[in-house]
Amino acid sequence: MTELVTASRVTKRFGSVTAVDNVSFSIEKGKILGLFGPNGAGKTTLLKAVLGLTDCEGELSVLGYDPFRQRKELMRNICFIADVAVLPRWIRVSQLLDFVESVHPNFSRSRADELLSRTKILKTAKVRELSKGMVTQLHLSIITAIDAKLLILDEPTLGLDIIFRKDFYANLLADYFDEERTILITTHQVEEIENILTDIMFINDGRILLDTPMDSLSEHYLELMTSGDDAATARGMRPLFERELFGKSVMTFEDADRGRLEGLGELRVPSVADLFVAKVKGATT
Amino acid sequence: MAANNADITTWTDDATMDPKWSDDIPIYRQLRDRVVAMILEGVLGDGDALPSVRNVAAEYRLNPLTVLKGYQELVDEGLVEKKRGRGMFVNEGARQQLLKDERQRFIEKEWPKIRETIDRLGLDAEELLNDDDEGAREIAND
Repeated sequence: MTELVTASRVTKRFGSVTAVDNVSFSIEKGKILGLFGPNGAGKTTLLKAVLGLTDCEGELSVLGYDPFRQRKELMRNICFIADVAVLPRWIRVSQLLDFVESVHPNFSRSRADELLSRTKILKTAKVRELSKGMVTQLHLSIITAIDAKLLILDEPTLGLDIIFRKDFYANLLADYFDEERTILITTHQVEEIENILTDIMFINDGRILLDTPMDSLSEHYLELMTSGDDAATARGMRPLFERELFGKSVMTFEDADRGRLEGLGELRVPSVADLFVAKVKGATT
Repeated sequence: MAANNADITTWTDDATMDPKWSDDIPIYRQLRDRVVAMILEGVLGDGDALPSVRNVAAEYRLNPLTVLKGYQELVDEGLVEKKRGRGMFVNEGARQQLLKDERQRFIEKEWPKIRETIDRLGLDAEELLNDDDEGAREIAND
């Protein structure tokens, strides 16, 4: 099985609000998928459905399980770091390790000990006494020590300073990730993680706006910087989105004629952050 | 290629320093160029091991496949050899091969332009080669 997650026409309604609207996608083994969307786009609801924390319409299979009905089986092979700190504040680090060891069959205590020994976290400390960055380090150490097939990260570095954020991703790549493992990640700090992704997915108003491998972005999307008459010509080629920068027009194009655009100004592949803005704003105007 | 020489220090930089990736060249290609620069400068000698894919990926926060793709370019060019389970190593004679390629490129691509400039400005090639700055300044003041 190379497809770890398959979603087909997944929908989740809360009363009259449709949080996830008829969404279909799949995630293959060994991928690092970035899921981006504005606040309220449906990211967290979608992650909850994948984790089996909420029921939904449509078909959803995660590691071959129905997440909502076979949650117990699923939890053996899936890990999750949420944007809200979920570790109890009163627990000591050593107690936490004892607890995970007793409940999780795929947890390696020696691996967790080794990872924690590289940090400043003391085993005798209570979670309450740790800084926000250290709590995230502790969480990542525990998760890295669990032999899981799928790791889901929901805004894992929210509120951390830049050093902790960079270390987080460096450790994730050095200690956790390999071709047998798969990561699904959401964050607002797009530019910090775009280079580690194999695939990206944009979601807005509960719908998928974009779902593509990173290395095919350059085949479909171009950003043109231009001005004057050239800008007017380019505008006629129906850009997704246009913004102003130092008196020049920057336009984002989807599947446009590269040859024609080349003569009109400077061309480059848009960053994920710029493409995201173009897709979201372009879809609403 | 030569223009990248200044960038190679980022290989050994502190982990918190980000390398400056150019927007218009794929990152795997820029990685390949950096390794080439390191070989040309002698930082990586014949038989030396390249940094592991995992280390480079972690340090620069790149997808390991991107790093692997850059290394694969070097394998395809015959500059680097993959030894199963041990990593990537610079081939014997890699620097010589690169120097040969660079010389060829200079002679075919750059020298004709330089020669044209020398002719256009009415400069004397022999006097120009008379090494130091003083010589060059004398010519300019003539």
